[in-house]
Amino acid sequence: MVRRIVHARVGSHPSAEDLVQETLTRVLAASATIEPGMLEPYAIVTARNVVASMWRDADRRRRNQHRVVDLSTPDLPDSQVVLDEEQSAMATALARLGERERRTLLEHEVSGTDTHTLAARAGSTAGAVAAQLNRTRARLRVEYVLAAEQAELPTDQCRAVLIALSGGDQRRQREVRAAQHLLECELCARLSEPLLERGQQRDDRLRIPVTADPDIVSARRAARELASRLDFAATDLTVIATAVSEVCRNIVRFAGTGEVVVELLEVPRRGIQVVARDGGPGIPDIDRALDDGFSTYGGLGLGLPGVRRLMDEFAIASEPGHGTTVTMTKWERTHDG
Amino acid sequence: MNGGPALVSIMRQGSTLIASVHTALDDSELVRFEHDLIHQIGEHRSRGVIIDVAALDVIDSFAALTLRRIAEMARLRGALTVLVGIQPEVAFTMVRLGMGTGQVPTALDLEEGLALLAAHPGAGTDSTERDARPGSTP
Ligand SMILES: [Zn+2]
Repeated sequence: MVRRIVHARVGSHPSAEDLVQETLTRVLAASATIEPGMLEPYAIVTARNVVASMWRDADRRRRNQHRVVDLSTPDLPDSQVVLDEEQSAMATALARLGERERRTLLEHEVSGTDTHTLAARAGSTAGAVAAQLNRTRARLRVEYVLAAEQAELPTDQCRAVLIALSGGDQRRQREVRAAQHLLECELCARLSEPLLERGQQRDDRLRIPVTADPDIVSARRAARELASRLDFAATDLTVIATAVSEVCRNIVRFAGTGEVVVELLEVPRRGIQVVARDGGPGIPDIDRALDDGFSTYGGLGLGLPGVRRLMDEFAIASEPGHGTTVTMTKWERTHDG
Repeated sequence: MNGGPALVSIMRQGSTLIASVHTALDDSELVRFEHDLIHQIGEHRSRGVIIDVAALDVIDSFAALTLRRIAEMARLRGALTVLVGIQPEVAFTMVRLGMGTGQVPTALDLEEGLALLAAHPGAGTDSTERDARPGSTP
């Protein structure tokens, strides 16, 4: 453990998780204007640009630590070399994925094809496809770090260990004896640092800022995706997405800005929790807002009674002038269809 | 908007307009769709409107109200609207939410939607010359 900490590189390059997320977000945003056949090359180019801009930002921050930050400072020649290295690392990482893995990941993240559709096409289940996607993301993070470090793996076991760590898959980590390997393998101990940085708590928890109409769609899509990792029935996935849509709309309409945090729960049992918060005007009369007669949309209502019916748990706290927080949960249940 | 694939396509077949939603729409996109469709109903003096929402994985309160409002405005202009392709999970959720489709008739798919319109005097697509038939709604 000491060795691992000593060898950890502190902020020397952006975490792989950040890069993957940022790339996919950008490709997703642009996907409406891209030809389907162009998605893959576009994703690679975007990855390069993201790496470039993240490196630039990090580099500028370092350079300007003791001065006024000037974001328009042109790049200095010596940073260009490192920048090129970072770019090709992401391109190499994407290229190292299997063709089918890469295609499925891009189709899912870029074209927005949901796991049910992908599963139907592959004759598989949505859960299996979601698990495969997680493994692909985990693998991409590993390949990125390896390419960025230009590392040669000393043992056959290294890659499996790193992928298990990257995916936060504890069962797999035990199978490949990851803990023991980290103590024995200096390289993996060092590389595991950027892989462990974000992965774990981000894996089952998402925070989505909500300020405008498109965020409502993004938030409900993200919630559905996260929920689809559990064994929810298709109806429950729609119910969850719809409830998220409703609470997000209230944020956009009545508070202007806020956030939604979606989290998978293990205790007291498996389920998904959604917390929607804003710093808006608050709801003066909650009882009235939860009264069905008052709250049908159309008028000034908030649609909250409907949301409460959709979810298993529902709580609302509001303080006039200070904002509103809605917390709601759907529990996984065995389904018969 | 700017060269990307259309979110919604509106096609004309005789006196019927067929609007297909291709992807999830946010609120502003829904409102734009509403305006476009109502405009075209007036322009073509359509008698029947089919809105295919099979691509919508969520129909929340705003979407449901927008669809109902489109149908009501179309009715005031003499056109009958049929919603087709609502997914079973979506239908279930709409009911739980307390929304539903109101008075707007629904059909399983495009074919059934066209059949439903054909069964309504004045609303169906027919091969006869389309002439302005004011006030011929049932
Ligand atoms: Zn190793």
